[in-house]
Amino acid sequence: MAKEMIAMLLAGGQGSRLYALTQKLAKPAVPFGGKYRIIDFPLSNCVNSGIDTVGILTQYQPLVLNEYIGNGQPWDLDRLHGGVHVLPPYQQASGSDWYKGTANAIYQNISFIERYNPKYVIILSGDQICKQDYSDFLRFHKEKGAEFSVAVMEVPWEEAPRFGLMVTDDNDKITEFQEKPKEPKSNLASMGIYIFNWDILRKYLIEDEADPDSENDFGNNIIPNLLRDKRDMYAYRFDGYWKDVGTIPSLWEANMEVLDPEHSGINLFEEGWKIYSRNSGMTGHRIGADAVVENSMITDGCRVSGRVKHSILFAGVKVEPDVEIEDAVIMGGTVIKSGAVVKHCIVAENVVIGQNAVVGAMPTDDENGVATVGSGVHVGDNAKIGPNAMVENNVKDGEEVW
Amino acid sequence: MVNSNADALGIIFPNSYDGLVPELVSERSMASIPFASRYRMVDFILSSMVNCGIDNISLIVRKNYHSLMDHLGSGREWDLARKNGGLNIVPPFAEKTVKVYNGRVEALASILAFLRNQKEQYVVMSEANIAANFDFKALIDAHAASKADVTIAYVEREIPAGLISSNIDHRDLYYTLDVDGDKVKELHINSKEKGVQNFSLNIYVMDRELLIDQISDAYAHGYVYFERDIIAPRMDKLDVRAYKYDGYVAYISNIKSYFDENMKMLEDTNLDSLFAGNPIYTKIRDDNPTRYIEGARVKNVMAADGCVIEGQVENSVIFRGVRIEKGAKVKNCVLMQDTVVEAGASLEYMITDKNVRITSGKEIKGPDTLPVYVAKNQIV
Repeated sequence: MAKEMIAMLLAGGQGSRLYALTQKLAKPAVPFGGKYRIIDFPLSNCVNSGIDTVGILTQYQPLVLNEYIGNGQPWDLDRLHGGVHVLPPYQQASGSDWYKGTANAIYQNISFIERYNPKYVIILSGDQICKQDYSDFLRFHKEKGAEFSVAVMEVPWEEAPRFGLMVTDDNDKITEFQEKPKEPKSNLASMGIYIFNWDILRKYLIEDEADPDSENDFGNNIIPNLLRDKRDMYAYRFDGYWKDVGTIPSLWEANMEVLDPEHSGINLFEEGWKIYSRNSGMTGHRIGADAVVENSMITDGCRVSGRVKHSILFAGVKVEPDVEIEDAVIMGGTVIKSGAVVKHCIVAENVVIGQNAVVGAMPTDDENGVATVGSGVHVGDNAKIGPNAMVENNVKDGEEVW
Repeated sequence: MVNSNADALGIIFPNSYDGLVPELVSERSMASIPFASRYRMVDFILSSMVNCGIDNISLIVRKNYHSLMDHLGSGREWDLARKNGGLNIVPPFAEKTVKVYNGRVEALASILAFLRNQKEQYVVMSEANIAANFDFKALIDAHAASKADVTIAYVEREIPAGLISSNIDHRDLYYTLDVDGDKVKELHINSKEKGVQNFSLNIYVMDRELLIDQISDAYAHGYVYFERDIIAPRMDKLDVRAYKYDGYVAYISNIKSYFDENMKMLEDTNLDSLFAGNPIYTKIRDDNPTRYIEGARVKNVMAADGCVIEGQVENSVIFRGVRIEKGAKVKNCVLMQDTVVEAGASLEYMITDKNVRITSGKEIKGPDTLPVYVAKNQIV
């Protein structure tokens, strides 16, 4: 049975700019928004768009991600034919290779795609926070009679030089591609989400693989080659919320935006487009008699006795009395002991913040860093973590890290 | 079988004691009554069985079981979507000659053929009006070690008020035990004794073959009740043992106890006792985390996911998807799934069932002795 479109999700990114958060897990597995992981967004988008076959390409620290995806049931992707498949690099008769680039990752899984004989393949990225209807994108692709389409966002002109830009004609047809140009001719930034006709993608992947000088990358090789051959390429404009959460400040900011759906445009509370995730299985959360909770998101298993303001607590976070938390992202299982002050920071999973410790600080005119504490770290009593600190190892009692 | 699996099958009676909480069961069974912010009563016994390696569990339903079937689905959330065994919901046959069962004898008689075809050595049986993280493995081990015919789990407590009160449904018998060591000397039916008793949880374990024999025989004699008609009269022939349970038990015997047992979850020691050890599974709703908006004032609350809180909440248990709008005040309440308290409304000592809407500005206060109950889908 052929599938009209299947999805290939690039989840191999190491996320090295997230430092302490990606020491033990791949970027797509990084927790987000109280009870999700980044990869929940593209996976939920797939299922909500009617795509029931997804290949996830992993290679960096895949353990957490593999376990998290499991059989795909939380996303309704446990299917008789199709469903979700984690695709790490594997050994073949001709030898084995790590995925050399994004295009090579798909190339090595041509046989997986062929099992489903799809007409179209959508290439997704596992490190973006975005609620998007891919079926609308496909409709555009078909209407234009495109062989390749890329989803683009209008970005402010002054930021355009940071992106891969699509120059288009009046009919949205792509005439030129500029990768991080000094002088942008367009402000349509590629979101790294592509729809290909499968026959075209297959042809260019094989051709690209045969080129020893290629970096095997979609942006650097495949798209320029398509342009060279004057293929029918179109840019699909997306105007919803989209955020690449590849850096600590952007990850922190995206979390804070979740707290303000009325203005930020990222609304996790919509009934019609749910984001699914694997459930923690914990009890309802508890807010104690002396706790103060304001403008925050709290989920199952949390126990809050202190003050929590404008923050996100993930499953099972414990906040002891006299704790002060503000503008913070506190991931699952973390314990914050009495008297600690935790502000403007990201604290990863299963961290212990000792009594009266200070983590991060509210931004000032010349200091606006987001302090980051890596998973499993023990921060001792009375320790101090400065606003620009990136903590990966235990911090002793009274020690200061800047 | 590897060691972690109990050699027992489970049977749950989801409609037992329905008559004690007529309000709550008008459209559901005792087993599917929401409890502790995100669970249904049946989740506790079901999860306890699963956590002890019992993976062949039948629920013999009597009536109003649509909400229960909706909740349980294929049983996957309890890891009971199995090729062998798994979850088995037994509805009553719609035949002229077969009536809806009254007691356990009739219920069990309706699945005799099924029981004969199973492989497990033991059968454990339970009601669904108790929320406990029950260690069935310990019960089965004690039963096997004593080589008893029947082992009854009991707790030391006063008889629940709801059971003693006079309006009890005639079907809902309850039992207290006279014990000597672990031997049951006598089984009292509907005792009115004051003070702490050996109060039966109606959790039994017995040999499957023996159960089949006893039920076949009792059913042929037209008996109805397992305890009254099989165990009590045959105390001299059967080796009946008692197993004292010391763990936390939330026991629903009327609407007041329903309210109180929910409220007890606001004490961390109770919450920790009920949920210590093994996880309790339930149906997943994929709600977003609960959002506390600017202006929310929350004190001593247990809340599930999916709520939006903008008003004041104190001493309350809030189920999934509840909305408390700006300026609304909620105190000493149990608000079930998707209740909406509109702006400026004020509630005290209330239980709202699913999907209730309290419109703007309404002020309702129940007496602390008997909270006001608002039925499913009502708009006040």
